[in-house]
Amino acid sequence: MWTRFAIVAVIAAAIVFPLFVTVNYFIHLAILAMIFMIVAQGANVIQGYTGYVSIAQGAFMGIGAYASALLSMRAGFPVWLSMLVAPAITAVAAAIAGYPSLRVKGHYFAIVTLAMNMVVFIVLVNWISLTKGEPGLPSIPSPEAINLGFIEIAFEKRRAFYYLALAALVLVMWIVAAVVRSRVGRVLLAIRQNETFAEAAGIACWKYKLFAFIFSASLAGFGGAIYAHYMGFINPTPFSADASLNAILAVILGGSGTLTGPLIGGALTVILPEALRVAEIYRLIAYGLLLILVVIFLPRGLVPAMVDGVRSITGRGKKAP
Amino acid sequence: MLIDFIQQIFNGLVVGSIYTLIALGLTTIFGILGIAHFAHGSVAMFGGYLTYFLISALGIGLLPSFILAMAVGALLGVVLERVAYYPVRNAPPINSFIIALGLTLIIEKLNLLAFGIDQVIIPTPFVNVINIGGVTMPELRIYVLVIAAILVIGMTLLIQRTWIGMAVRAVAQNRLAAVLMGINVNSVSMFVFALSSALGVAAGVLVGALFAVAPGVSSGLVIKGFAVLILGGLGSIPGAIVGGMVLGVSEAFAAAFVSSAYKDVISFLLMILVLLVRPEGLMRRSSR
Repeated sequence: MWTRFAIVAVIAAAIVFPLFVTVNYFIHLAILAMIFMIVAQGANVIQGYTGYVSIAQGAFMGIGAYASALLSMRAGFPVWLSMLVAPAITAVAAAIAGYPSLRVKGHYFAIVTLAMNMVVFIVLVNWISLTKGEPGLPSIPSPEAINLGFIEIAFEKRRAFYYLALAALVLVMWIVAAVVRSRVGRVLLAIRQNETFAEAAGIACWKYKLFAFIFSASLAGFGGAIYAHYMGFINPTPFSADASLNAILAVILGGSGTLTGPLIGGALTVILPEALRVAEIYRLIAYGLLLILVVIFLPRGLVPAMVDGVRSITGRGKKAP
Repeated sequence: MLIDFIQQIFNGLVVGSIYTLIALGLTTIFGILGIAHFAHGSVAMFGGYLTYFLISALGIGLLPSFILAMAVGALLGVVLERVAYYPVRNAPPINSFIIALGLTLIIEKLNLLAFGIDQVIIPTPFVNVINIGGVTMPELRIYVLVIAAILVIGMTLLIQRTWIGMAVRAVAQNRLAAVLMGINVNSVSMFVFALSSALGVAAGVLVGALFAVAPGVSSGLVIKGFAVLILGGLGSIPGAIVGGMVLGVSEAFAAAFVSSAYKDVISFLLMILVLLVRPEGLMRRSSR
């Protein structure tokens, strides 16, 4: 009941946000933050709920971004269609890469996915006939205007894109919530707790792990597609392993295995560096320190820590285990 | 054709020996403490820069600089273990993994602040080239191979023949039993980090002398190091040696006969192949 109320309140606040905050730069940051929340939520599915750290979210974001951009520019797809096909293409890539990688656990998996990110990056830089390499793809089209009869929504305006990103984020949240609360979600949690037990209980864990991996990758691909059409220009740089590490940071910072964690963490990883406004180098040092401090002192992330804090003050509800 | 072939094997072994040095550090830390020490590449890069700085700015000779940098690296390793990894020693492995990512960021950016963004080549006096039947062997590359071999043999002896090495092996086999036998696991952890980081610095110096050190080399080195670990089997010292050579030679062949732009893809493909065929690595009998 209270949860539902909170969700409605947050969405309402997000809807009116651009009416009060009219500075383009802040709206720009909000759009980037929402795109990154989608990517981070994807990382949460595999990392927070399944317990497998994948360092390939950046690569999948890149695959989605390039797929959507190229489909609309070269194949003449309408932008709306290409933004929906891009996650499917990302999913196929994830299925091919995930099948062999998921045969291993723990550190092995993290290492393989990191290498995977490196490979995708190398391909994006070197497959010049397709991706134009380092200089990147310019003038990626915006989505076509929507004509609702009485009003026409054109995506040249930043604000329209804000609502597009918001709608996409709400959709993603709804899907992820449905998945993690389903039987599949419970199996994923069981895998995180003890994969050997789950296996012994007769669950074909590999199917669920592959699903979680593909699902998380397609969310990154979706985020990447929105990013490409919003920015209008992409090159390989934002899709390096750094982006994957940022997604991991967002999940850890917010609280892994919670639905709201990646939202808070995603927003912080986009907005904090801007707010710090210091030179890139110091910013990243601060980042690294933050990462270490959070893991040492708040190993479960901000959201569970805050929930515990509120509960201990109000004395309501049971304490989290 | 045969000359080309031998030439690439030589080139591959030289680069592979550097991979082996990196992988040896990673594999001991992993085998004994269960930490995927991601910041190892950054430590190596730092070592390369530090040596360059000692030589060019302070005018210290090549060999003393090399040794001094390894000592500093050992100290840095101890600090990393104490400050960052020790607090999460009982937490799930993912925590130490994320600590490692944070360390990578910090070391790399501090390195940038201290030594700048330029890539540097560590100056050496070894410029002669030996030619045996058409195979060119630059003197420097032979020295790299020899130094790497000395360090690898030295480390193996240290682990196999000394008292502290015995303690390290005991902790690797059964941590609890080692504690019960009176081994101080904390000093073993520090020793492992010191030894591994010194080897990492050595690898960074060899890279700096052979090619160049630049802010970008660290992630490449650590990924190659982990690829070697997966090839050889996590935690296995012979695995690191064989894996390093296999990776170095395969890359040299890929660069020479396929495409140099895609040579880094080879390590990934080899990794996937080994995981599919022999998940326990080339040199391990069974997986743990």
